[in-house]
Amino acid sequence: MRERERGRARALRSLLPVVLVFGLGVGPDASAAAAQVESQEPSIVTCGVCHGDPDFLVGKATPERENALLVSDSILLDTVHRDLNCADCHPGPAVGYPHGPLAAVSCGTCHELEQIDWEVSVHALNVIDSGDAPTCVSCHGTHTVYGIDDRRSPTYPLNVATLCGRCHADPRIIGTYFSSPEEAQARVAVEQYHETVHGVAVDEAGLAISATCNDCHESHRVLPVESPESSVNRVNVVKTCGICHVGVLETYEEGSAHGEAYRTDVRTPEGYLAPACVDCHSAHSIVEADEPKWFVGIVEECGKCHQDVYETYFSTYHGQVTQLGFELTAKCSDCHTPHNMRPATDLESTVHPLNLVATCAKCHPEANQNFVRYYAHGDAGDRERYPVLFWSWLFMTTLLVSVWSFFGLHSALWLGRLAIERVRRRGSGHGT
Amino acid sequence: MARRLASSDRGAGPYIWRFSPLERVLHAMVIVSFFGLVITGTPLLYSHMPWARALIRLVGGFQAAGLIHRICAVITFGYFFIHVGHLTYRIAKSTDKKRFFWGPDSMVAGPKDFQDIRDMFKWFFGKGPRPRFDRFNYMDKLDYWGEFWGVAVIGGSGLVLWFPVFFSRILPGWMFNVATIIHGIEALLATGIIFTIHFFNVNLRPEKFPVDVVMFTGRATLDYMKEEHPLQYERLSREGRIEEMIAPPPSRAAYLWSVSLGLIGLSLGILLIGLIIWALIQGGWR
Repeated sequence: MRERERGRARALRSLLPVVLVFGLGVGPDASAAAAQVESQEPSIVTCGVCHGDPDFLVGKATPERENALLVSDSILLDTVHRDLNCADCHPGPAVGYPHGPLAAVSCGTCHELEQIDWEVSVHALNVIDSGDAPTCVSCHGTHTVYGIDDRRSPTYPLNVATLCGRCHADPRIIGTYFSSPEEAQARVAVEQYHETVHGVAVDEAGLAISATCNDCHESHRVLPVESPESSVNRVNVVKTCGICHVGVLETYEEGSAHGEAYRTDVRTPEGYLAPACVDCHSAHSIVEADEPKWFVGIVEECGKCHQDVYETYFSTYHGQVTQLGFELTAKCSDCHTPHNMRPATDLESTVHPLNLVATCAKCHPEANQNFVRYYAHGDAGDRERYPVLFWSWLFMTTLLVSVWSFFGLHSALWLGRLAIERVRRRGSGHGT
Repeated sequence: MARRLASSDRGAGPYIWRFSPLERVLHAMVIVSFFGLVITGTPLLYSHMPWARALIRLVGGFQAAGLIHRICAVITFGYFFIHVGHLTYRIAKSTDKKRFFWGPDSMVAGPKDFQDIRDMFKWFFGKGPRPRFDRFNYMDKLDYWGEFWGVAVIGGSGLVLWFPVFFSRILPGWMFNVATIIHGIEALLATGIIFTIHFFNVNLRPEKFPVDVVMFTGRATLDYMKEEHPLQYERLSREGRIEEMIAPPPSRAAYLWSVSLGLIGLSLGILLIGLIIWALIQGGWR
C-alpha cells in the first residue's frame, strides 16, 4: 500500500509540468478538451481529460467497462510506457467525443521479437484455437505495464509462479487442456513448484534470482517439452539449467562420463540415454541435494541404468543403511561425485585407485591404502571377480544350513517320536 | 499342587540346585545382549523389508541401533571374559583335574555324548530306549560350545567392522567385506539355533512346554531332575549328596517374574524368527 502511494506521488510529480502548462489554459473542462482535440494530436493530456476523470465516465458504460476506460495520467506515468502517447498504442481516429471503438492494440509494433516468439508458442496456438491462453495483456496488463524488475509487475520473478498459476493451477483450465495421462505433470507443476528448492527460495527466502517458470520455459517462446526447440527439451535443458548453474554445467560438460555420453548421444544397451539435469533432479520436484529424500532417491535413480552396481551396493553396510531410509552413509554421488563422475581408469576420477584414499577420507578421515581396498560393490555371488567373498559366503552358508538342518531334523524326529508314544499309550489304555 | 506352568517347577519337590547365581547372571546377560544384538543387527541383513525400517525406527534410527549394538557387544565380551576368567580360576583351584575336564560337571564332550546322540536317533526311530542324561546332555554342551564359537567368530568379525581404520593397518580392505559376510551369516546361524533349536530343546518340546525357568531361578523339582537328568539324580543319591543340594522353593515373585520374562523372551524370539523367515521367503538367500 505504502509502495503504491509512493508510486503515485512519483507519478504526480512527473505530471507536474504537464499540469502547469494545462493550468495556464482554461482548466480541466470540456472546452479545454475541445481545444486540444482541435490540434489533431492525441496526447496523454487530451485523452486524459475524459479518460482520467471518473466523474465524467459515470454512466457512460457498464461499471466494469467504466473502470477499464479510466486511465488516469498518474497510472500511465508510473509505467514503462510513461513516454508513450495514447495513440502510440491506440492508433486511428479517436477524435472528439463520443468516438467509436479503436483499432486493436498491437504490442508487436514495438516488441517485435517478443511478438515473433509468442506467435510460435503453445500459448499463441491455443489463442487461435479457443482463446484461453494468454496474450500480451494477460501477463503484462493493459495500461499498468511495469518492467520485470518492478515489484508490482505480475512478471516480477517473485510473482511469476502466481501469474502462471492463474491458469496452470486453475481446475477449469487444467480440466480443459491437461486431461490426458501424459499431462499428469502439467496438472501439478505449479503446485509442485512451490515445494521445490526453487519455489521455496522464492516463497520463503524471497529470493528474486531463484528460477521461476519463465527462467526454464522462456517467457514468450513457451514450447511443449517434446519440441526440440523447447528450452526444456532434453537437448536444450542442460544449457537452460546452465544459465544459472554455470559451474555445474562446466563440470558436467568437461569430461564427466555423463556429459560425454550426453554430447555424443550414446545409449546404454537397455536404450537409456545419458542423464541430463532433469533425469536426476526432475523438473518440478527438485529438492535440495542435502535432504534425506534426495539422498535415498538418487540411488534409485542411478540404479535405473547402473543395475549391477546398484544391487551389489545394497550388500554393503553403506547400501543397507541407505535402504533403511537413512542418509548418512555413502551414496553413489558421495564417492563418484554428483556431476564429475568418471570411469575408475580416468586419473581425474574420484574412484581412480590413486584418488581413493582422498575420496574415502571424506567420511573416514584416517583411511589408508589398505583401507581403500574395500570392495564398495563386492558381490559374493560373483565368483569370477570376488572369489574370496564367494568362498567365504559358501563356507558360512554351508555351515549354517548343515548345522540348522541337523538340529531341525533332530527336533522334528523328537516330536514325531513323542507323538507315536502318545498314540501308543492311549491305545494301551495308559493315556492321561 | 497342580502342574505349574514352568516345567522346572512341576511334580513333587523338594527343589534341587542346578545353576549357581553367577551362571544365572551370565545367562541373563546373554539374553539381554543377544536380543539387543539381533534386534539392531537383523534389519541390516534384510534392509529391503518393511519391518526392518520399522524396527530401526523403533530403536531410534540407525545410529541409535549402532550404539545399542555396540553396547550389547560390550556386554557379550563382558560375560565371555567373566566366564573364561572364572573358569580359569576353577581349573587352577581344582584338585582332581581329570574329573574336572571329563567328569559329569564338565562341558567337555566325552564318548558318552556321542553314544547319546546315536541312541537318541535310535530312539527317534523306535530302535532303542531313550538315552538317560547326567547333569549336562549333548544339547546343553552344544549350546555352550556354540556360544564360545559364536562369540569368537561374530565378536571377532564385529570388532573388525567396529574399528576398520585400526584393522586396516594389518588387514586389506576386502577383509571388511569378508567380515561382513561372516558376521551376518554366523549371526543368522546363532539366531536360528537359539530361537528355534535351543528354544525347542529347553522350553518348547512337549515334555517342557511352554517354559522352563530353571536357568532363571537356578533350581528345579526332584521330579524334573529325575526325568531330565536321571543319571545325575541317581549319582547324587548314591553318593548321598541330595541333601546338600536341596534348595528352598523359589519365592512366588521370583517364580512369576521368571515365567513372565521367559514367555516374553520366547515370544520375542519366535517373532524375530518369523520376520527372518518372511524375509527369506520374499528375498531368497543371498
